[in-house]
Amino acid sequence: MDLLFIHEAFPAQFGHVALELSRRYGWKCRFLVEDLSRCPTPTKAMLETLDIQRLPVSAEYRANRDLPWPQMYGRYLELCQATYAAVRARPELKPDLVVAHGGCGAPTLFLPEVLTCPIVNYCEYYFALGRCDISYRIDLPPAEPAQFYPRCINAIVLASLVDCASGYSPTEWQRQSFPQRFRPKIEVHFDGIDTELYRPRVVPRVIAGNAVPADTRIVTYVARGLESMRGFDQFMKVAQHIARERSQVLFVVVGSELTYYGWDKLHTGQPSFKQWVLSQGSYDLSRFVFIDHLFPEQLAELLCLSDLHLYLTVPFVLSWSMLDALASGCVVLASDVPPVREMIEHGRNGLVAPFFDTDSLAETALRVLNDPAAHRALGVAARAEMQAKYSLDVAIPQLKAYFERVAS
Amino acid sequence: MPQDPLHLLCIEPSFPGRLGAVADWLVRKRGYRCQFFFANAATPEHWPDSVGKGLELVHFNVGGVAKEERVSWTRVLERGLCYAYGCWEVLEMRRPRPVDVVLGRSAGLGSALFAPIYVPGAPVVNFFDYYYHAHAHDLADEAGPDTAVEYFHWRRAANAMDLIELEADITPWTATEWQRNLYPREYREDFVVLHDGVDTRRFTRSTTGPRTIGGRAVPAGMRVVSFVADRLDKLRGFDRFVALANRLLRARSDVLCVAIGGAPVRRGLDVQFYNQDYGAQVLAQTPPHDPNRFWSLGSVPPGVVADLLTISDLHIYPSRPYAVARSLVEAMSAGCVVLAADNEPVREFITHEQTGLLVNAADVDAWEKLALQVLDRPAEFRPLADAAAGLIRNKYAQDVTLPQLAEVFERLTARSPQRLSSRP
Repeated sequence: MDLLFIHEAFPAQFGHVALELSRRYGWKCRFLVEDLSRCPTPTKAMLETLDIQRLPVSAEYRANRDLPWPQMYGRYLELCQATYAAVRARPELKPDLVVAHGGCGAPTLFLPEVLTCPIVNYCEYYFALGRCDISYRIDLPPAEPAQFYPRCINAIVLASLVDCASGYSPTEWQRQSFPQRFRPKIEVHFDGIDTELYRPRVVPRVIAGNAVPADTRIVTYVARGLESMRGFDQFMKVAQHIARERSQVLFVVVGSELTYYGWDKLHTGQPSFKQWVLSQGSYDLSRFVFIDHLFPEQLAELLCLSDLHLYLTVPFVLSWSMLDALASGCVVLASDVPPVREMIEHGRNGLVAPFFDTDSLAETALRVLNDPAAHRALGVAARAEMQAKYSLDVAIPQLKAYFERVAS
Repeated sequence: MPQDPLHLLCIEPSFPGRLGAVADWLVRKRGYRCQFFFANAATPEHWPDSVGKGLELVHFNVGGVAKEERVSWTRVLERGLCYAYGCWEVLEMRRPRPVDVVLGRSAGLGSALFAPIYVPGAPVVNFFDYYYHAHAHDLADEAGPDTAVEYFHWRRAANAMDLIELEADITPWTATEWQRNLYPREYREDFVVLHDGVDTRRFTRSTTGPRTIGGRAVPAGMRVVSFVADRLDKLRGFDRFVALANRLLRARSDVLCVAIGGAPVRRGLDVQFYNQDYGAQVLAQTPPHDPNRFWSLGSVPPGVVADLLTISDLHIYPSRPYAVARSLVEAMSAGCVVLAADNEPVREFITHEQTGLLVNAADVDAWEKLALQVLDRPAEFRPLADAAAGLIRNKYAQDVTLPQLAEVFERLTARSPQRLSSRP
């Protein structure tokens, strides 16, 4: 099979899938991408194995990343044009299947003018009109676009979804975010966690170059950006509560100061949500380690040290970090929202508590930290479930079969 | 039959546009109160009777890219969002209350998209016109190899506003089955298919007395061949009409060909002639065989259209495949013998040799042959015209179609919290 993957960033959702398809089945996997991503970063193996081509977008396009919401569809069309031009310029490209990310967005709209193969959309998410995703944090000062954005941003998703041959979402909750009418067209295929990389093992108790005493509990929190949709402010409240009750706890926070989702700058009027949150309370920052970015191998080691992993999120696409933590055998305490409940059953393979109930989150966390042995079974169950249902060995053959079916 | 009056909020970029006549009927026949939000208005002679008498006009401004005369096609949705936002701003400022139901038509400009932010409980019915297919229908059927690929890109991109409106928890409404079936399969079941109807009172056939069109006397004994379009453009087949008219003018000395339609071309899908006077170009290339017997009246008030259709001996409808023009239905209502291009949207209205005549659009000889038969033997073809008028009376008259729309409104508002709260 000859696959053409299209995505805004590399490797994102497709890099590891393509690498596995290439390694296991000898498939030819090519990429058209706008940029190489910093989080996660491409691995050496990916760069050596996969044919990756950058889309010829203009300097002006690259410079205008923060366009007002009414202009996002126009930006998407420019990307569609660049994709069309890139494919047209390479007549040797004769893929059996195009697999494109459909969030923001699959720039496949014009490809039927130059390719005849089926197009598969990665159906990551369909924004809701309210009480979900970017509209969930009504506790924060209102952001002006909040009323309008959800009513028009899905144009990008719809335009490509209408024309694609099929779509797939990694979780059922993500599939359910799409309008009912399109769900028969969308299958659920998880894209695989590297359970060899993310596995429980003994690693040195060193974080950011400092040794951590054996009697210090380590609480981890990981997000691409420290932002409201990933509950960074709620995490800090929970951490403060825990720190009041227990002295021997270190909070390790991994994530950049960028906002990837939502309107934190509009909510707060400040460029960094992290700094805004820190300015709202009196936190003992000596109890915290903030790490901007970790490579996957480093993250895997950190998760091995975690006594408790806190995963806070509004109802939105799950972060890889939560799945990485589950695969690492961490005890995960997460927000009690539908996407989390698809993966975590409270008391069986993890713990959940309401997103806004920081007292309940903190009390639950303290029970874990006070008696880790009593909660160890949760991490063991989480690890077992990740291996059985979400590992690369399970997910990749299913994706292979799906791609073959659509291509045929 | 639902007879209760409702408070209707109508939103359309232009007034009277398509919904003006609908609102007018609902005000006159059902006692509705209507606030009609619009960005651009036609001159008052095009306005319906109930303006100021239950139908109140509210103007909204548009900003941003919508103010520009021409913008890159990649900004098509942004332009529409400017209309939607402009309407929302005026809604917030004027705060019309109560609102039982919202009736919108965007024609790609999305004016009603943000109305639910202002009236979140009110049901919304949206009229949908046309879903573009990249290489099919309208002028795309004839696009040659020289057509810029961007044209097809634009066609693939142009449906964005319709898609987000279809997903905005509205009741979609369209005029014909053909239009409904242009939309993606996933949406078709949702549509209410209902023509918005013709005011048949305006098209009573004139068989006696002097014949005039907009005050201009038609010479006695002349056979009148008519063509009516909003604009004299290629989409509606003005080129085909002129070609046929010249053949008829040569063949018979008693033929008067009359064309109604303005300039310039305003449809974005006609990239070749957009904003140009296509009618003038066609007439310059193929001048009328006898200019005295070829009247091009330009854009005229509705009364003049009625003057023409009610005396027409043969109405020509040579449109490319596109949503059927109001003029076709009006011509049928007026009892014209209609000779039309044979395509799917037209076949929904005309059955060949029963309610009109259909002809292969590319067969110029066939057009001429059939037209001359009608002009030679009008009595023989009169039953077709009578059947057409009967069809419109029974199925497409406002008094038949719009009570069904009122029923839709009644059904939606009956379960609407907005309606319940506005009742005493």
